[in-house]
Amino acid sequence: MTNIEDIISAIDTLTPIPPVAAQIMALAEDEYSSMSDISDLIVHDPSITASLLKICNSAYFGLARKVESVRDAITLLGLDQIVELVLLNSTAENFKDEPDGYGLGEGELWHHAVLSAHVAKMLAENHGAARKKHLIFTAALLKDIGKLIMGRYVAFSFEKINILVGSKGYSFNEAEKEVIGMNHEEIGALLGEKWRFGKKLVYIIRNHHMSEEACRDDAETALVYLADIVCMMIGFGTGVDGLAYRFYSDVLKRMNLNDNDLQKIIYDTGERRKKIQKLLDLV
Amino acid sequence: MFKFLMFPTDIRYKMSNLYVDIKNRSTDVQMQNALFSANPVSVMTAVNFSELKISANTAETLVAFSIGSGIGVSMHDAVAKVGGLLNFVLPDSSKIWSERENRFPYMFADTGLLAFLEALNNVDAKTKRLKVVIAGGAQILDQTSDFNIGLKNHQALISILSRKNLTIQHEDIGGSQRRTLCLDIDSGCSTIQTAGQGEVRV
Repeated sequence: MTNIEDIISAIDTLTPIPPVAAQIMALAEDEYSSMSDISDLIVHDPSITASLLKICNSAYFGLARKVESVRDAITLLGLDQIVELVLLNSTAENFKDEPDGYGLGEGELWHHAVLSAHVAKMLAENHGAARKKHLIFTAALLKDIGKLIMGRYVAFSFEKINILVGSKGYSFNEAEKEVIGMNHEEIGALLGEKWRFGKKLVYIIRNHHMSEEACRDDAETALVYLADIVCMMIGFGTGVDGLAYRFYSDVLKRMNLNDNDLQKIIYDTGERRKKIQKLLDLV
Repeated sequence: MFKFLMFPTDIRYKMSNLYVDIKNRSTDVQMQNALFSANPVSVMTAVNFSELKISANTAETLVAFSIGSGIGVSMHDAVAKVGGLLNFVLPDSSKIWSERENRFPYMFADTGLLAFLEALNNVDAKTKRLKVVIAGGAQILDQTSDFNIGLKNHQALISILSRKNLTIQHEDIGGSQRRTLCLDIDSGCSTIQTAGQGEVRV
């Protein structure tokens, strides 16, 4: 078993997400906040402003006139889109380093994170959690951040993990826990606490594979879980862990989803993928 | 290390100086053929999910990376030296189609396979000579039969193939692993790479 302290100290090798991202997210969900509150927050961070304007002026959005201020950007593209871009932009840096160990190609974990974030947001809008969509978007985006740290430990113990998954009926996160002493959900949650993420965000990261029975009632976690499952099924950004996580049909039933609904969600995800691919090249 | 294990062809491809942009492939086939007859290095073409690619270029290898619950189907006619690869993810278009216009026929087993066979027919492949290899249909652990899309994909595929009198040469279906399926147009050999388990060539 690896020394847990070792793994935890590896958190410091990543670049923390700027606190302004969390503040923007909180404001976006607060119904009493105004557009100018949010643009005020963004303009005080020059690096976010600069990259935001660069993205807004790119051909992807095809805007007729040049965006010259944050306020312009919000008016033209809408608050939702701006909040999303800021969140994507502040998390991209860490994910762009290829995590070895999970057998993912360059940028694959990042692509998976972005696609599942968009799917989770779509699900939130369609299943009565529209008010929390930014939280759900962010949670799906960051759920696998623990993999960035776990990567080299998984690579080192892969043989053992593979045996447990292949012939002993373990799921991949159970096998991580058994062999390494910690899994990517737990280290992700610890990282979230260290970087002062909100309580709910940490909770979703810690439980996004729903191993604890108690969390299966939680509506927001369920949405992130479902988005993750769908991305795994279409094989987008899955690594050596593949689809080796547990499926809980009661979670879907509680959301009133049957297998046809699941197929529709897969279809919608596929539809969205091409669009997102273009967005990914920008951020 | 993993990357090398899993994508040996990819590495070989990148190492060769004949890097031809995949996107430009279709527009520049002639130039490419000239290039490859002088220097026979294989070109890899990715077949993303819900895509179909047909090829008669013997220097080409079609690859469907990272297949999950969907299924990769390769069909090859050794006499005509043509083949194709379909990468679909859902069993039945009628479940979705009734509500929306089907802009992604290759996303489904039924519409995808019909289009596949028609496309092969157009390049003079004969149905009775086709070598069929399928890989994928994985499932999340404990995914019950109702929600088991991988299994449904497999069942849908089998019933369509048998209706068309096609037999499957080799299949690697189920489990919870990600797979990669390649088809070498020249030899008609298909390679199935399974994450964490290595490679099978048929």
